[in-house]
Amino acid sequence: MTIQPIDSTSSAKRPRLAIDGLMRTASAWRMPLTVLVLCTLPWVLPSKALAVNVLIYGTFAVGYNLLFGYTGLLSFGHAAFFGGGAYLTGMSIVHFGFAWYTALSTGILGALLLSLVMGVLSIRTRGIYFSMVTLALAQLAYYTALQASSWTGGENGLRGFTVSKIDVLSLQIDFLNPLHKYYVVLLFTALALWLVSRVLKSSFGAVIEAIRENEVRARACGYNVERTKLLSFVLSGGICGLAGGLSALHLAIVPLDTLHYHTSGLVVMMTLLGGMGSFFGPFVGALAFLVMEDVLSLWTSHWQLFVGAIFILFVLFLPKGIWGTIMGLGDR
Amino acid sequence: MKGKHDKFKSPTRRQVIGGIGMGTATALLGMPLVARAQSEPIRIGFPTPLTGPFGAEARDQVKSAELAVKQFNDAGGLGGRKAELLVRDDKLNAGEAATRTLELIEKDKVHAVVGALSSAVQLAVNQVTRARSTLYISISQSDTINEVKDWSRYTFHEALNPHMTTAAVAKHTFKKGMKIAYLAADYAYGHEMLRGFKRAQAAIGAASVGEILHPLGAPDYSTFLPRISAMKPDILCICNFGRDQANSIKQAVEFGMKQQMKIVVPVLLHNQRLAVGPEVFEGVVGGANYYWGLEETIPSAKAFNNAFRAANNGAIPTDYGAYGYTGVKSLLQAITAAGGTETDKVVAALEGLKYDVAKGPQSYRKCDHQSIQSVLVLESKKKADMKSDVDLFRVVATEQSGEAMLRTCAELGFPA
Repeated sequence: MTIQPIDSTSSAKRPRLAIDGLMRTASAWRMPLTVLVLCTLPWVLPSKALAVNVLIYGTFAVGYNLLFGYTGLLSFGHAAFFGGGAYLTGMSIVHFGFAWYTALSTGILGALLLSLVMGVLSIRTRGIYFSMVTLALAQLAYYTALQASSWTGGENGLRGFTVSKIDVLSLQIDFLNPLHKYYVVLLFTALALWLVSRVLKSSFGAVIEAIRENEVRARACGYNVERTKLLSFVLSGGICGLAGGLSALHLAIVPLDTLHYHTSGLVVMMTLLGGMGSFFGPFVGALAFLVMEDVLSLWTSHWQLFVGAIFILFVLFLPKGIWGTIMGLGDR
Repeated sequence: MKGKHDKFKSPTRRQVIGGIGMGTATALLGMPLVARAQSEPIRIGFPTPLTGPFGAEARDQVKSAELAVKQFNDAGGLGGRKAELLVRDDKLNAGEAATRTLELIEKDKVHAVVGALSSAVQLAVNQVTRARSTLYISISQSDTINEVKDWSRYTFHEALNPHMTTAAVAKHTFKKGMKIAYLAADYAYGHEMLRGFKRAQAAIGAASVGEILHPLGAPDYSTFLPRISAMKPDILCICNFGRDQANSIKQAVEFGMKQQMKIVVPVLLHNQRLAVGPEVFEGVVGGANYYWGLEETIPSAKAFNNAFRAANNGAIPTDYGAYGYTGVKSLLQAITAAGGTETDKVVAALEGLKYDVAKGPQSYRKCDHQSIQSVLVLESKKKADMKSDVDLFRVVATEQSGEAMLRTCAELGFPA
C-alpha cells in the first residue's frame, strides 16, 4: 500500500510491486471487502430483485464450484440440491407451519442428506459416468416432485408460503421490503462464502485440490480419496441447498423448473463464465450472466442470440473466465 | 416508498416504526413519487413468454395489449393521464416471471400487472402480486387459480378456465350413451382438461371407454393410437396444447381414425391449425375464447378486428392474442370508472364492471373473480369451404357461461 510508483523510468518492477502489495492486502481482507462490495449491489444493479437473485445464484455457483472447480468432479445433478433445499424450505412452511429459520435449516439439512445419498451412489464412478449418474439421480428428484403433487404442487409449483415478516431476536423485519430482504439474504451469503473460503484454506482444501490434480498420487500419499470426495460432495450440496432455500424465501414460490436439469446446466455455465477453480469466479459468473440476461432481454427479444455469442467468445478466447482472466493479469 | 405504502392500507404502529427505521434517505426518495402521483402515467406490467414454445401466442398478446393501451391514450387517457405498457419476457419460467414481477412492482412501480401464459407461471405471478396487494389480471387457462387456496382479492381471471371450456365443448359433442376415449398430456393442463371432460361426460350420460396419458412434448403417438382404436369409441378427446395438439391429430388422421370416430379437443388453436393445414384438422371440434369470425354477429368483435388490422398490416387477432386486448382494455375501463389507480377502488370497479370489448358481454364473478363470458365451440373447416386463408373455423355454438357452467363458489372452497 505504501509503495508508490514515483518514477516510471527507474524500474519496471516498481509498479508491479505496488499492484502486488495491493493484491496481497486485498486478499488478506477479502471477506470484508466482498461484503462491502455486495452491500452496494442493490444500488448498482438495475433492480433489487435482480440483486437478490445474484446473491442466491452466486452462492449456488460458489457451492457448486467446491466440487467442480476444486475437487474436479463435473456434476450435472446440482439442481437436485438447489431444488431440494427450496422445496423442503417451502414445504416445511406450507405443511408444518415452521418458522422461516427452522424451515431454512430443514432445507439445508435435507440437501445435506440428499447429497450424502447421491454422493455415495455416484462417486464410485468417474469422468463422464459420474456426470451421467448425477444427472440421472437428479432427474429422479424432478419426477418425484412432479408426481407427489399433493406435497409439492406438482406442475404448478409449490405456493402459499409468503414470508412477509421475519423476527430476528426481538426485531421484526419487513421481508416484503426489497432492501431488507436483500440484506437478510446477504447475511447468509456472506456466511456461506466465509465457510467455503475457510474450507479451501484448511488442509482439507489442499487435499481436494491434490485429488483434482492427481488422484493416484493423492491416494499414494495415504489420503482416503473416496471419503474426501464424498465430504466435498456433501459440503457442496449443503451450500447449494442453502441457496435453494433462500430462493424459496425470495420468490415465495418453488417452480418445478428449479429441479430441472436446465438449472444444473445453468450453474455449470455461470461457473465457466466466471472462471472455475477460483474462489470468486463463480460468483462473478452468476452476476455477469444474470445482469446480461436482464439487460439484454429488455433491449431485444433475441437476447438468447447475444448471450450465446458472448458465451462462445468466452469459451474460445477467455477459457479462464472473467475472474480467472483478471487474476491472471497480475501474474503475467 | 413509505408514502406509497400508506396509500393502500392503513399502517400499523410497527409499520410506521419500520418505515421510519428505513431511514430518511428512502423517505426522501419516495417523496417526489407521491407528489407526482396525479400526473404520472398509468403503468401496466405485462410479463409474457416472448421466447420459448409459446412465443407466437405471446407476441400476439403483446400486439393486442398495445392496441388497447393506444386506444385508451388516443381517447385522451384518464383526464389526460396516459397509460403505458411495460412488456417483460418471462421465458415461460415461473421463477423468472416472479423475479420480473417483483421488478415491475418494486422498481417500475406498476399500478397493475396483466399477463403470463401458462398455469404455473400465472400462479407464480399471482403469489407475488397477492403478497404486495397489487392488481393482477391473469390471461391464461387455469382451474387452480379459481380455488380458494390461491385466491387473491387483487387477482382477476380474464381467461376461460378448463372447467367451463370442457363443459361447453362436451355439451355440443357428447350425447347420451356415447363411448368416449381420452388421450391427455401428462401435466397440469392435460389433467385439468381431462377432469373437466369426464365430469361433463358423466353429467350427460356418456361412457368412458378408457384414458391414456402421454408425456408432454411426445413426438410419436403410434403406441397409443392402436390402443384407442381397439376401444372403439365414438369420440376421441385429445387434451393437449401447442405442438402436441398438431402432432397427435396428424398421426391420428394417418392411422385413419377419423373414419371411425370424431376428434374433439378442449381448445382449438388458431396457430396450430395454421401450422398443419386444413386436411388434418377438418371436422375437429374444440373450444375457444375468441375467433375473428365473430365479427359477423358481434359489433365489438368487428371493432376490435378492424383496429387490429389497421395497426398490424391487415393481420387478424388470434384466440390467445385476444386475451391481451380484453385483459388490458377491461382494466383500463375499471380504472376510468374508479377515477384513478387506487387499488381498492379499482378492485371494486372491476367487481362491478360489465364490459363488452371484443366478444360480447363479460363480467367478473364476485367470489372467485372469474370472468363470466361466452365459450365458442368451433369446427375446423374443409379446404373447399374456406373463403380465405384465415377462414379456418365454423362457429358451432356460442355458449354463454353462467353459473351453471362454472364450479360453484362453495365447491371452490369459498364461504357461502
